[in-house]
Amino acid sequence: MKKILTITALFGLALVFAQTADDLTEFKEDIAKQKVEAKKALKPYRYDGSKVTYFNFKTYKQVKEVEIYLFNNTDYRFSFNGKSLPNDITIKIYDQDKTISDRVLLKEVSGVQGNNLLIESSELNKTYQSKKSGAERLKRVFVSYEIPGVPGAQNKKPTMKERGAVILVMGYKN
Amino acid sequence: MIKPSIKIAVFALASTFFLGACGGGEPEDVNLVDVDTTEEDMDVDIFESPDVDYHLPSPLQVASIFKKSGLAFNSGVTNSPDNVGKYTDELKQMLNFGVYSADMAYCVLNEQSNEGRKYLGVITKLAGEIGMEAVFANEDLMDRFDANIEDKDSIEILMIDIHERTEEYMEENDMQHNSAIHFAGAWTEGMYIGVYDYEHNGDKEGLGAQITEQMAILGNIIKGLKDPKNAGMDLGWIITDLEKIQSTFDGFKSVVSYYEDETAEELMLSEEEYKKLGSLIKDLRGKIVNG
Repeated sequence: MKKILTITALFGLALVFAQTADDLTEFKEDIAKQKVEAKKALKPYRYDGSKVTYFNFKTYKQVKEVEIYLFNNTDYRFSFNGKSLPNDITIKIYDQDKTISDRVLLKEVSGVQGNNLLIESSELNKTYQSKKSGAERLKRVFVSYEIPGVPGAQNKKPTMKERGAVILVMGYKN
Repeated sequence: MIKPSIKIAVFALASTFFLGACGGGEPEDVNLVDVDTTEEDMDVDIFESPDVDYHLPSPLQVASIFKKSGLAFNSGVTNSPDNVGKYTDELKQMLNFGVYSADMAYCVLNEQSNEGRKYLGVITKLAGEIGMEAVFANEDLMDRFDANIEDKDSIEILMIDIHERTEEYMEENDMQHNSAIHFAGAWTEGMYIGVYDYEHNGDKEGLGAQITEQMAILGNIIKGLKDPKNAGMDLGWIITDLEKIQSTFDGFKSVVSYYEDETAEELMLSEEEYKKLGSLIKDLRGKIVNG
């Protein structure tokens, strides 16, 4: 009897494991499709690379930051895809990293969930020049993903409904 | 086609029966033991990115920026494809994968397609050596290259495809930590080509500014090389050299003054500083390409 119970329990565990693996595979496949969509939105800018930022919604707020270089004589387009987000997040773009207290906020976007958004470096440069007197141009930007806290989230063992990702695809004008 | 997860479930079930059979016919008492869950809690979640991350530009973008800054094509400055046989250890293969990627971008952007074709050949060979043969498999890249040899734009698109496939392959196979090694090779080669042109062709204000601008990336390359997942590689010498380049650059008078002046436009080094930086770049590049 004990053995039957053990087998049943293990079989149940195996099924749960298989379901989780299935969900993760689907999650990855969705991201691959969304990357294609984000890449299409780059045109006519030339694809330079992508950065998928993965996270799990937790009961507390989190911030994840990605540094991107902007070189002289070059215009850039950033394509953000938020279709793998179970909840909304906020994207903030700054001139410096999060250790600098007086950094300049160049752009703030919410409503990322379910959308593909485009931001261009020319727009960021204009804001930078207007907010910082004497500033010439941006040489890098810091994309900050502000991930809000979600009550009841499983902080240590996240479930699929807590998993999220933002796909950022970068392109430059040739 | 059975889904991998179903296979796992079937395997788990079969294992359960197998383990049960090994236990013999009589039910056994279940011994409760304390399980150390520390390791489980420390499992790395591959779907959790670091809090601070960065994106490094592709070799094609770097070559394109250098070209826009006035970099001329200098025949013979790139690493000869004939050297590929010298790279027998994994680290040199990875570094020179990056070096040759930068060389290919340089040739293609300067409409030297025949040279570019040779670099595609050695990149494919090195990819096979460093476990990335799948990036180049099942795609007749060389045929595609040959079919478009006169069309610079198509060749550039081919290079972008290779870059994207490499990026995806490394992500899927948890090899992203290795990209810093490839990039260290590509960065050094790009800087070497820039320094060579700056020293030989004179009147290159834009190029000088671009060389200093590329220095901004170095900190993140060093950070990437220091990723604990790269611990098995003998990276000490290259990290030391790159850190020396970084600290020398940071100590230049022009650099210190530039960062003190928030309204300064472009950072330009003095001739002596360019010479010193160039010398360090050339030394490192020599160590990377000389097998």
